[in-house]
Amino acid sequence: MNLALFIPEITLLVIAAIVILLDLFIEQKRWLAQVSISGLVIAGGVTIAMWGGSYPAIFNNMLAVDNFAIFFKMLFLGIAFLVILSSTDYVSKFSKFQGEYYALVLLATLGMMLMAATTNLIAIYIALELTSISLYALVGFLKDKKSTEASLKYLLLGAVASAVLLYGMALIFGFTGKTQLGEIAQVIQSLPPMTLLASPGLLLGIVLLVAGFGFKIAAVPFQMWVPDVYEGAPTPITAYLSVASKAAGFAVILRVFFSAFGLPVWLSLNWGLIFAALAAISMTVGNIIAIPQANIKRMLGYSSIAQAGYLMVGLAAMGMASAENILGQSGVLFFLASYAFTNMGAFIAIIAISNKLNSDLIEDYSGMGKRAPLLALALTLCLISLIGMPPAAGFMAKFYIFNAAIQNGLLWLVIIAVINSVVSAYYYLRVVKVMWLGEAASAEKVPSSGALRLALLLCCIGVLLLGVIPGYAIRLAQLAANIFAY
Amino acid sequence: MVIGLQHYLILSAILFSIGLYGVLAKRNAVIILMCIELMLNAVNITLVAFSRYVVPAMLTGQVFAIFVIVVAAAEAAVGLAIILAIYRGFEDIDVSKIDLLKW
Amino acid sequence: MGMVVSFWILAAVGIIAALGVVLLRNVFRAALSLILCFLIVAGLYVTLSADFLAAVQILVYVGAISVLIILAIMMTREVAQGSPNSRFQIPAFIVAILFLEVLVLTLINTPWPVSSMPPTAPTTAALANSLFGEGGYLLSVEIAAVLLLSAILGAVVLAREK
Repeated sequence: MNLALFIPEITLLVIAAIVILLDLFIEQKRWLAQVSISGLVIAGGVTIAMWGGSYPAIFNNMLAVDNFAIFFKMLFLGIAFLVILSSTDYVSKFSKFQGEYYALVLLATLGMMLMAATTNLIAIYIALELTSISLYALVGFLKDKKSTEASLKYLLLGAVASAVLLYGMALIFGFTGKTQLGEIAQVIQSLPPMTLLASPGLLLGIVLLVAGFGFKIAAVPFQMWVPDVYEGAPTPITAYLSVASKAAGFAVILRVFFSAFGLPVWLSLNWGLIFAALAAISMTVGNIIAIPQANIKRMLGYSSIAQAGYLMVGLAAMGMASAENILGQSGVLFFLASYAFTNMGAFIAIIAISNKLNSDLIEDYSGMGKRAPLLALALTLCLISLIGMPPAAGFMAKFYIFNAAIQNGLLWLVIIAVINSVVSAYYYLRVVKVMWLGEAASAEKVPSSGALRLALLLCCIGVLLLGVIPGYAIRLAQLAANIFAY
Repeated sequence: MVIGLQHYLILSAILFSIGLYGVLAKRNAVIILMCIELMLNAVNITLVAFSRYVVPAMLTGQVFAIFVIVVAAAEAAVGLAIILAIYRGFEDIDVSKIDLLKW
Repeated sequence: MGMVVSFWILAAVGIIAALGVVLLRNVFRAALSLILCFLIVAGLYVTLSADFLAAVQILVYVGAISVLIILAIMMTREVAQGSPNSRFQIPAFIVAILFLEVLVLTLINTPWPVSSMPPTAPTTAALANSLFGEGGYLLSVEIAAVLLLSAILGAVVLAREK
């Protein structure tokens, strides 16, 4: 076994331990953020160096080191980098536990990286729980009323969801006798079609898996935790949840459903239809409930439910597609990357603004265009990208994923999605209108720290780059999705 | 009558459903946490039964069950820490008045 | 014969204990009922010839998790508040019954690939091999270690005062 392929994960773990220990000894707590960031940079560098190589899976074939895993590792490391940059101001106000905050962010990132790379049901379950438990603690980090309540709610619902997921895994294990995704696929494909048709156990297992993972990606009807948790959690963690946790959920879904249940065709058609239905419901419910929201974090919470719906259009296309067509998969990957930049950017702007205002109400953003023109401009760009208008990344992402769906005969779903995009423009643009046309409550400027500005700048560059010259990123997504072509 | 795989599976399904009912119907956070433990135990019975009857030579299901026990312990620890924090910090949040299904 | 009798006794007591968890009004009694249920599960593991797992079940669940739960009940004076039902009691009942029905129908109608081989016994050495040995689940063991670290950090952060 080649442990060199495990260096990114080991780096994160070691840095997390160093951060906890360092917290005991040093007075200058800002070093903690810098150590964490340097760890992320090292891990990222090693990961990038692995791109494109064809390495064997390690740990008895349980940890794949393919382009798909590396794509997601880069994504998670990048998101964690932005989260830590945007947390520094926020965390410096804590009197205690600053080291633990960064360590938990690093451990959650480690869990997500493992989720994207493991090919074994047992390891997937443990990695998912590593991510979840770190996130439960991070959500409750503020220790005020809302935050603690949010954390409790997230933990209880998350635990129920993981119990359901586990039941699904148990049924699939019972039906095939295997936990390794590739071996499960072999067993399923070797069975005669009539046996499969007469085996509701496998189908129920798949449905329970969809429910369990649906919680992670916040799809309707498994979304009830989203608004309260998004509102109560520290804002950088809300950003982290909305972007990274969702991406990790999609990474697992892509790998599990394609590697284990990709064939025979009628099976993949079945789960493709499940995802199509969930996509339609999630988009519609998320967008409609987002309209009357007064709190911007809650609004973005519901918007993230709708975005999960658009992403599931890609999953549905993947279920409907033949094996050589990887448009759906690469569409999901590209959408996740552009969504990561966009939503992180929006939340970083919100962090900067609410640092000053101490409020997350949309009406308090009135006149922000005059008080903080650059912040308002960045937030506007991100909101436009969330709607899916050019020249932002969101446009290309939606275009790509809807195209994949149309090619695979899901025109009805795309029509629903486009109508939803129009509806969503209403509540996104309302924020833009309040910021630029509203009267400012005071003429005071909104200050922001260098770290926040750097993080926001990176996000905006990402949004514009992916929107204007998407070719390179699309190529990356296609290479990563190539592991799915037979 | 011989006891076989299906007996264990159905027993586990009953326990799981009782746990599910408790999670949805109860408002006391500690009770909900207890019901979650019940659900995880039910899944463990399924796993061990499959391990015994489907792959008796491999023990895969038992290995899975060990990891589930690890996770259950970790979840219980974090969950009870949150409940303690709520109780100590804010007398005005009643842990027994939590509606999980509020939208 | 002994196997059959012990299964039915364990099953009956287990279901009654599980019902006790959700039906008893007193939180402390519900917790005791849950502990009984944990013990029953350990008994079921013995009938499934999972001896090591039965020991782990008693050590971790009966020994550790039960104590945690009882501690939490004592420290938060939960007993006084009882175990109230939410507004969703009836929908919850319907959902649980429907779910059970679907599960049972599925479990009965699926041709599980049952093997006629005798079970491995004793399991301790074999389990150690499949956890740590060649071709084993070493990756999961390592992730579990990190998970425990993260749970300790989380519990300390959340339970300590501000």
